[in-house]
Amino acid sequence: MPGRLLVEEERCTGCTSCVLACSFAKEGFFSFSRSRIRILRDQEFADFRPRVCVQCAEAHCISACPVGALSRDGATGAIVLDERACIGCRKCVEACPYGGVAFDEEREKPLICDLCGGEPACVEVCRFPEAIRYQEVGG
Amino acid sequence: MTSYPGRWLVVDLSRGSWEWITVPREEIALFLGGRGLGALELWRRVPKGADPFGDENVLIFAPGTLTGTDAPCSGRTTVLAKGPATGYYLKVSVGGHLGISLKLAGVDGLVFLGRAPRPQYLFLAPGVARLEDAGDLWGRTVRECTRVLKDRHGAEAEVACIGPAGEKLVRFASIMTSVYNAAARGGIGAVMGAKNLKAVVVDPRGGRLGVADPPTFRKLVRKAREALYNDSLAYDLHRFGTARDVDLLNELKLLPAYNFQRSHLPGEMRELSGRSWPELGYLKRIVGCGGCIYCCHRFTRVDEGPYAGVYSGGPEYETVAALGSGCGVTEIEPVLAANELCNDLGLDTISTGIVIQWAMECYQRGLLSREDCDGLELAFGNGDAVVELVRKIGHREGIGDLLAEGIARAAEKVGRGSERWAMQVRGLEHSGVETRGAYSYALAFAVNPRGPDHLHTECLAEFGGTKEAVEVVEKITGDRRYAVPDTVEKRAEIVRWHEDIYAVSDALGLCAFSTTAAYGIDEELAAGLFRAATGITMGPEEIMRAGRRIVTLERCFNLREGLDPREEDRLPWRIMHERQNDLLSSDPVITPEKLRTMLREYYRLHGWDERSGVPLPETLDMLGLSFVKEELP
Repeated sequence: MPGRLLVEEERCTGCTSCVLACSFAKEGFFSFSRSRIRILRDQEFADFRPRVCVQCAEAHCISACPVGALSRDGATGAIVLDERACIGCRKCVEACPYGGVAFDEEREKPLICDLCGGEPACVEVCRFPEAIRYQEVGG
Repeated sequence: MTSYPGRWLVVDLSRGSWEWITVPREEIALFLGGRGLGALELWRRVPKGADPFGDENVLIFAPGTLTGTDAPCSGRTTVLAKGPATGYYLKVSVGGHLGISLKLAGVDGLVFLGRAPRPQYLFLAPGVARLEDAGDLWGRTVRECTRVLKDRHGAEAEVACIGPAGEKLVRFASIMTSVYNAAARGGIGAVMGAKNLKAVVVDPRGGRLGVADPPTFRKLVRKAREALYNDSLAYDLHRFGTARDVDLLNELKLLPAYNFQRSHLPGEMRELSGRSWPELGYLKRIVGCGGCIYCCHRFTRVDEGPYAGVYSGGPEYETVAALGSGCGVTEIEPVLAANELCNDLGLDTISTGIVIQWAMECYQRGLLSREDCDGLELAFGNGDAVVELVRKIGHREGIGDLLAEGIARAAEKVGRGSERWAMQVRGLEHSGVETRGAYSYALAFAVNPRGPDHLHTECLAEFGGTKEAVEVVEKITGDRRYAVPDTVEKRAEIVRWHEDIYAVSDALGLCAFSTTAAYGIDEELAAGLFRAATGITMGPEEIMRAGRRIVTLERCFNLREGLDPREEDRLPWRIMHERQNDLLSSDPVITPEKLRTMLREYYRLHGWDERSGVPLPETLDMLGLSFVKEELP
């Protein structure tokens, strides 16, 4: 069943557990730069803003891609990247109004959440704050 | 891959040079990481008799073996030096994001030698280390300094720095990281100040960290997470923080008040409890340390009234006890203001509060006059005076200069019996636990190598407050009836087990709340996580033995410095000689006889000489610490 991530910024504690869990789930190691989710953090005022793909109904990233490397997976609802087609132009990063597309500077490819096949690793570590939740849609 | 390659950076501040060293795998197996390898480095590098403020002292930052991974609550760093408050071993644990940033930047440990010729800071990034001039930062508060450095190096760069208090060598100055997380106790910030080191800045971007056995690691992390989520204390800790139950403690008559003259605040005091802050509007955000799944830290702000505009991280329980109830202050706003000042000037809130309480009692008893206190009306309950005194201490102004030396030294100057209400041992101020009603804590405080506080051995279990706590006491002593706090029986067993697991936690970088307050991660899980992360063989008994090894080495550091356990394994005079009649306990005092009984049993369990408290040679051999023998007296 397709799903989406719900983010409530004001509940985010800035702990970055989601960032670590995401990079480990998708890349096999821990990294701030290779995570699909990031947190913009202002520590002094405890202002923490998670940034991740929230599976917009109207996906600006897909229409911005000049080579058609982005599409929506009908089963999960996630935006998926065809890495071979991608030319690393960053149009999707710019097009996302939410700042939900990260960019891997090493491989020069965007990093977009694929919802971990319906069990997002980031949601699992956010059970107390509930800043990120996963919701199944439609059916 | 491993989560702990053992890559340490040694920076010689006197020469302005640095080199990378690799810790041998065998040493990682013996001392685990973090506090363990930090203690070993300290033992090796600080010669006996070194001046804590001199070039011979070293300052060590040691994130844990698991820090930087998604093992729950694993973001902690141990900071070590020979301590300026006590002249003995000092380890301080700090959360925030420093540890994760160091590990992702490829730094497992950081040692500072010597003293910089002028103020400097260290900048680190993956593959990068350089010393920078800090002339423009010297004199700045923690918030100001962090702002400048983040403007310069990017918002993602993590800053650990000292404030004016550290620069001015206040003997209880802290090192602050993530703006509001304190490596607080024992004057660790003054060691940094003496080294002319204003800050460490770490940019973790581009760095990465792996583990030896990802599938097993993933499985064990999930197991640990479930255990922690399911602990009965956990969610409350998240929602209301460490100060959640100040009012309940007051009802139970376990809340230190009026410099430990009482353990109960009469009258209305509910706003001191973290539980009330959401509805009173002070709580603005729940904050988490790096990699934590509990997130017990707070961000608070005052919107209206005379303290409008005050904002900071915290306050924690200890801060409320030290700057609130201990000073007889029942309103939260002056406590928030004093907390903000401590955090910004870089002061340990515990020692700051205890020192002020001592001064208040001197004032109460006529030993300090209003004139001596720079015109301040230093009566218990005067929150405004507490705030002003914090400022004076941080800047060493007027009477603040005397208090900045800590109560042991201040009481020596003031004399006339004021030593009796100086809540300190060996120069460290006693933390906010009414030890006369908590015998395991009392024993743990007496043997803590850094001085009397709860951060070497957290024995909350003895109260039997949760089902997990009772189970732990049963596991340690064989009988759940020992989950009561006011008996000498089985206290040594309880302390020793907690001591070992606490050392393991600090070494692995786990928050003590994940092992000894909420009982989620036990020795079995800790060993499994260590094994899967590093690839080094480790079982539960072996990892607890490593904890024991660390604790024993710390003891030996102090013995080398001349510690006489018969004189110095003790509690403040008040705890040992004045009954705390507020307590519901039938015998609310830890007499020298009671303490001696507990100590003797504790030494015996450790394999130390029962009279002298010195580890026996065969104990040292068994623990693989034979190398310390020739340096012991």
